[in-house]
Amino acid sequence: MHWSQRLFPWIVLALAALYVGSQLRPARQNGPYDLHRLGQIPVSAEGRVKPLDTVARNTLLIVSDRQTLRIEGEQQPAIRWLADAIARPEQAREYSVFRIDHPDVLALIDKTHEDGKRFSLTTIMEHQSEISAQANRARQVEPKGRTPYQRHVLELLDHLVLFTRLSQLDTPYVVPPLEEGEQWEPLASALRRDSGSLAAHPAVRSIGAILTAYRQEQPQEFNRSVLEYHELLASSLPGEARRAGFEVMFNNFQPFYHCSVLYVVAFLLGCISLLTGSMSKPGWSQTLARATVWLLLLTFLVHTFGMVSRMYLQGRPPVTNLYSSATFIGWGGVLLALISERFFRIGLGSVTAAIVGFVTLIIAHNLGGDGDTMEMMQAVLDSNFWLATHVTTVTIGYSATFLAGVMAIMFILLGVFTRALNPEAVKTLGRMVYGVICFAAILSFVGTVLGGIWADQSWGRFWGWDPKENGAVLIVLMNVLILHARWGGMVRERGIMVLAVAGNIVTAWSWFGTNLLGVGLHSYGFMDSAAFWLFAFVASQLLLMGLGLLPRRHWRSFAPTSPPFVAESDVLSNEEG
Amino acid sequence: MGYFKPLASLKLTVMLLAAAMFLIFAGTLAQVHEGIWAVMNRYFRSSFVWIELQLFVPQEIAQVPGAIPFPGGFFIGGLLLANLLAAHAVRFKFTWKRVGILFVHVGVILLLLGELGTAMFAREGNMTIDEGSYATYIEDIREAELAVIDASDPAHDRVVAVPQSILAGHTGPIIDPKLPFEVAVLEWMPNSRVFNSGMGPPGLQVRATAGAGVGLVAQSVHRVTGVGDQRVDLPSAYIKLAAGGRDLGTWLVSLFLSDRQTVTVEGRTYGIEVRFKRTYEPYTVHLIDFRHDTFVGTNTPRNFSSLVRLVDPDRNEDRQVLIYMNHPMRYGGETFYQSAFKEGDTGTILQVVRNPGWLLPYFSCSLVALGMLVHFGLHLYRFARRSL
Repeated sequence: MHWSQRLFPWIVLALAALYVGSQLRPARQNGPYDLHRLGQIPVSAEGRVKPLDTVARNTLLIVSDRQTLRIEGEQQPAIRWLADAIARPEQAREYSVFRIDHPDVLALIDKTHEDGKRFSLTTIMEHQSEISAQANRARQVEPKGRTPYQRHVLELLDHLVLFTRLSQLDTPYVVPPLEEGEQWEPLASALRRDSGSLAAHPAVRSIGAILTAYRQEQPQEFNRSVLEYHELLASSLPGEARRAGFEVMFNNFQPFYHCSVLYVVAFLLGCISLLTGSMSKPGWSQTLARATVWLLLLTFLVHTFGMVSRMYLQGRPPVTNLYSSATFIGWGGVLLALISERFFRIGLGSVTAAIVGFVTLIIAHNLGGDGDTMEMMQAVLDSNFWLATHVTTVTIGYSATFLAGVMAIMFILLGVFTRALNPEAVKTLGRMVYGVICFAAILSFVGTVLGGIWADQSWGRFWGWDPKENGAVLIVLMNVLILHARWGGMVRERGIMVLAVAGNIVTAWSWFGTNLLGVGLHSYGFMDSAAFWLFAFVASQLLLMGLGLLPRRHWRSFAPTSPPFVAESDVLSNEEG
Repeated sequence: MGYFKPLASLKLTVMLLAAAMFLIFAGTLAQVHEGIWAVMNRYFRSSFVWIELQLFVPQEIAQVPGAIPFPGGFFIGGLLLANLLAAHAVRFKFTWKRVGILFVHVGVILLLLGELGTAMFAREGNMTIDEGSYATYIEDIREAELAVIDASDPAHDRVVAVPQSILAGHTGPIIDPKLPFEVAVLEWMPNSRVFNSGMGPPGLQVRATAGAGVGLVAQSVHRVTGVGDQRVDLPSAYIKLAAGGRDLGTWLVSLFLSDRQTVTVEGRTYGIEVRFKRTYEPYTVHLIDFRHDTFVGTNTPRNFSSLVRLVDPDRNEDRQVLIYMNHPMRYGGETFYQSAFKEGDTGTILQVVRNPGWLLPYFSCSLVALGMLVHFGLHLYRFARRSL
């Protein structure tokens, strides 16, 4: 092997590691105030103790759809916005952060799309009376029956209220319980209670000092007060303080974002490897394949780190809501695809891993837009045991079914449009997909049953035919159907692939479709973005299934070369029977 | 034996699995319009169902009339069972390699039988208890009744209950020697809302001429669906009472009216009320304390629990039990789950389930899971040995 071939995977790995490592250092300080440390202060919001930095990011994400903002031409972190909103509200009112998308809502404040997407509170409040009048009308309509315009008006009003509550110190709950019997409470109510009393709560005193220093533009005093408060917290709430610090690191690191970047790189590398040569010959193609696997392994580590960090912060098993189900489906899919690559070593496992990882993280990113992705669990779901067993198993069942589907898509695309699908590849991919489907059948069955047991334990009904349960059992039936069709000789490689793509539809339906039913698909949800993407996805899968059903003579890989009838006899015989 | 061949074929298996998937999919969509129990009985616990085509098309895109007939859950499940049994009778040869499959199939057979058993024998109801009080009966929240109560005997009430099926379907007055008066149902509302007159939606008239309903109006509303927030139908009815040719007036009876109304006939006083169908138990459950915690600064419930005292003189039981999420109380063949609570945390609502076959799914599913593990595990083991 040439030395450059030997070195190449190492270079790729080193570059990727460097990239990841460079994201781990704390953010550069912007100005004389130590806002980074301010962001590490633990507070309680939506029932969870989290750093102020998280509150800032989530709130800004809600109102602005971004985690940073521009102030006087300079990019500023969310915590700067939060600090200003609390301590210098008259300045924060001027920041253009409130995002308005709907043209009619824009018209309400005399703007059009050409004026931009984000507006300041001052601009919006000039039209306060019209907005509240419209919001009052919208509120009288039942949530399900509201038009998109009405929903956007109410959303804008919610955002304005959120800002007001921040600036009035009503949320988050910043005053910690330092003594037995105390609870987290907002600064506003703590101040009301302590007013006039000299023995005010020590945390209230510290927070007051921090805010006053910030308001009076005394950076040294501010930095000193923040440090002092951290010392107080470290001695009285060490666990919360430590976790909050870790969470700020996690927020800055954004592991899932970097994973999705690396998955794209791995996908490109893997594709080049697939296209630059037949899969069995040594040479650059194999070098690239090895580099792809190494890169994927590193990315998988970062992905795992992201999930384990969330588990540490939440004290929960990996899947607690839709957002985390997406990151976990991706994680499981990548793991399974890498295992299959270990067995088959034809490069297809790596490419599948990269696709599954990237797509699920993009989905997760889009699911994370509406606030904290680590919210508290409803009482009935509050059971780490069942979350760890039922939810995890069912979710890996989703991973495996999707993985089989993605492999099947590659089979169809490679077969129809390229000549890469030689007889050996047909056999190998066929076995890969079959293996993954067996695995999916077990996991989805066991996961569904565990769900039944949980239901029996919580409300005495092992099986209730409710939408979510039905979605889960559909996946089981789909996998079982594929297996029986194969065992009965009704389908062979090509037929299995088409059915596996159908498995994608079933899985997407159970994952999202059943949730959409709840918000009333029939009333307005059809144009809702999630519903739109689901329908688009289903349409694309149907198209792929149609491709897969094309007669063999239209498949480039199966088209007769010279001599004309060789491929016909040994690859696939007629499957229509 | 040749007779069994088509019944034992794998093609039939695949067709049945596909049919089951379609039925379940349709039965899920149907829950947008119908309650979960209605769907269950129509789709899954039936041998035959008409599936409306409108289910598959959003209403604002197109109005689609018509429906297709389709085999119901009992039919498909029964055929699957027959298919499995026939396959084992004709086709399946036992080898140790296939022991896993055998486990899976026996498990599936038990699972199907278990679901049939649940459909036939399981009973569900609610027990509502106020704090400091007790309950002796279980309510079936899926069925209401009109109760006519003679409370003149201090030892026990005499109750005549007219079931929902008669109230909803009867034309003409309901006459029965046990009833002290004739009951004519003017309007039966399976799900409803009740307003003070003038407060409700326009167009509703006060129709009651006697009792608590004077000054109230009732509106008939769409029945609950499987995906909505409201889970329980709350019926109301306008009824006209008459005895011995004398008109006793038009009454509004409703689950919304918590106080019993009274009718006087020939000097005797009877209570009337619409209530959920009751089943009385030989024991009483007292609610000592109900707790409902939320996460700090939110309305997200963190925990519910009911501390109850169970008193059963027949079996000489008198003890305290704490019922909370995922920790039911099992007693006398019945299981009590923390289900909901009354507004303002003044009382608890327990779900009470009697399902004699509740252990069967545990057993059958373990068998299936074990079988799958054995079967695919063997495959994987052989495969891994070859390729690594």
